[in-house]
Amino acid sequence: MDGRIKLLCMVLLSLSASFASEWQHYLTLLSLVFIALIITKLPIIALLKDMKFFAIIILIVLFTNAFNVPGDPIPGFPIERVSMQGVITGLRFAGRLITIIMVCTVVTGTTSLLTFKNVIEWYLRPVPFIPEVRIATMISLTFALIPVIFDSYTEIMNAQKSRCIELRKNPIKRVNFIVFPLLGQILRRADEIVYAMESRCYSEVRTRALFKINKLDWFILAICATSLLFVVA
Amino acid sequence: MSLLEAKNLTHVFPEGTVAIKDISLKINSGEFVIIAGANGSGKTVFIRHLNGLLVPTKGEVLINGKPIKKNITLARRKIGLIFQDSDSQIVGQTVAEDVAFGPENLNLPIAEVEKAVRESLEIVGISDLSTKSPHTLSGGQKKKLAVAGVLAMNPNIIIFDEPLAGLDYPGVVQVLRQLDELHKAGNTIILVTHELEKTLAHADRLVIFHKGELVEDGKPEDVIYCSEKYGVRMPLRNGGEIGSMTWLR
Repeated sequence: MDGRIKLLCMVLLSLSASFASEWQHYLTLLSLVFIALIITKLPIIALLKDMKFFAIIILIVLFTNAFNVPGDPIPGFPIERVSMQGVITGLRFAGRLITIIMVCTVVTGTTSLLTFKNVIEWYLRPVPFIPEVRIATMISLTFALIPVIFDSYTEIMNAQKSRCIELRKNPIKRVNFIVFPLLGQILRRADEIVYAMESRCYSEVRTRALFKINKLDWFILAICATSLLFVVA
Repeated sequence: MSLLEAKNLTHVFPEGTVAIKDISLKINSGEFVIIAGANGSGKTVFIRHLNGLLVPTKGEVLINGKPIKKNITLARRKIGLIFQDSDSQIVGQTVAEDVAFGPENLNLPIAEVEKAVRESLEIVGISDLSTKSPHTLSGGQKKKLAVAGVLAMNPNIIIFDEPLAGLDYPGVVQVLRQLDELHKAGNTIILVTHELEKTLAHADRLVIFHKGELVEDGKPEDVIYCSEKYGVRMPLRNGGEIGSMTWLR
C-alpha cells in the first residue's frame, strides 16, 4: 500500500475516532481496524497484550470522567459521586483512545521507518520555509541513534555499577555520573556522524523516493473518508 | 602524476594544538599504503583532510593534480573514508538504506541507486542482510556495511581508519579479506593501523607518523625496522618475514 495513502488513512480514522460518540461509530471503526489487522497478518494477540501498557492511561481517563462529570447516580452503585453520564463519557473517551492506538499500531506495524521518512518528506514538500529533507533526515537519524544511545546508557550504567555507584546516597550525584558521560558520548557520536555524512556527500538535493498509488489504495482511502463522514454526519 | 597528493599539510586546532605539521605524501594509483603511528600521532586528522572533512591550516590536497577544495563533492565521491567506529557511520535503519545514503546524496536516478546498492552488497557479501537493522550486525558485518556504503559511490581510493580495532579473529579475517579483494580489484587502499603484524604483508608502502609529522615513508622492509622508536611495535620477531605479517594465511 502506498505510504502516503496509509498515513492519510491513519489521520482520517483517528479523526473519525475523535468525533465518535455513538456505539455504531465505535463498532464501525473497530471493525475496520480488525479487518486491517487480519489482512496485514499482524499478531493480534501480541498487539492486544501490548495494549496493557496503555491500560493505565485508559483507566485514568475512565475514572476521571466517572467521578468528575456531573449527572445522575448509578442505581445500586455504592459510590455516590460516580455518575451515569460520567461513566458513559469516560467509556466514550476510552473508546476513542483505544481506536486511535489500534489504528496507529496497524499503520506503524506495517510501515517501515524509511517509508515514514519519505512520506513525511513528501507531505512537507509544498509547505513553504520548511526544510523537508532536513526534517526527514533528522527523523531518520533519531531512529538510527536510539539503539546506540540505549547501548551507551547500558554500558555507562554497568561501568558505574561495577564501581559501586549504588553506594552513593545522593540520587542527584548518581544521576550526574550517568547523565554527563552519556551526554558527552552522544555529542561525540553526533560529531562523528556529521563527519561520516559529510564524507558520503550529504546533500539536501538528493534522490527522491518514488510512490505509486493503485486502485486498492484509492478504495481504502474512500472507506476511511466514508467512515469519517459517517461519524461526523 | 600521482592520484592523490598532500602538499605541506598543517593543521592547528583552535586551542593551538598542532595536530599535523608540514606533511607531504603522494599516493599512486593501485597502491596499498599503510599509515602507522602511535595514538595521537595525527593519522586520523591527516586522512580527514584527504577528502575535505577537515580544512588544513596550511597546505593543500590534490586529486589527479587538482585541488580538492575546487570540487569537494567529487573528492568525497572519489575518496571513500571508512571510519574507525562503524556505528558512527551508519545512518540508515536497514542495511540497504544505509548503503543507499551516498548514491542518494549524489542525486542519482533511483534505478542507479538500487543498482549501486545491489552491487556493493554483493561485493562485500552481505546481500542476504539487506533488510536487517544495521545495529543487529556483528562487528565484522558492520565494517562490511561501511565498506559497501563507500563502494556504492564508486571511489578510486578507499581509506580505512583502524578497521581492525575491536574485532575478534573471524572479524579481522573478514575485513582483511575484503581489503585484499578490493586491492586486487584495482582500488587504491590507504590503511591506517598500528596492527602491522596483521596487515603488513599486503602493503606496498609503509608510512609512519610521529607527533604529527611524517617520519618514515618507504617499502615495508626498509621502514619496519625503525618502527619501535615511533611507538609502533616491530612485528618481525625470531626471523619472521614481512610476507607472514597477515592473519589471512
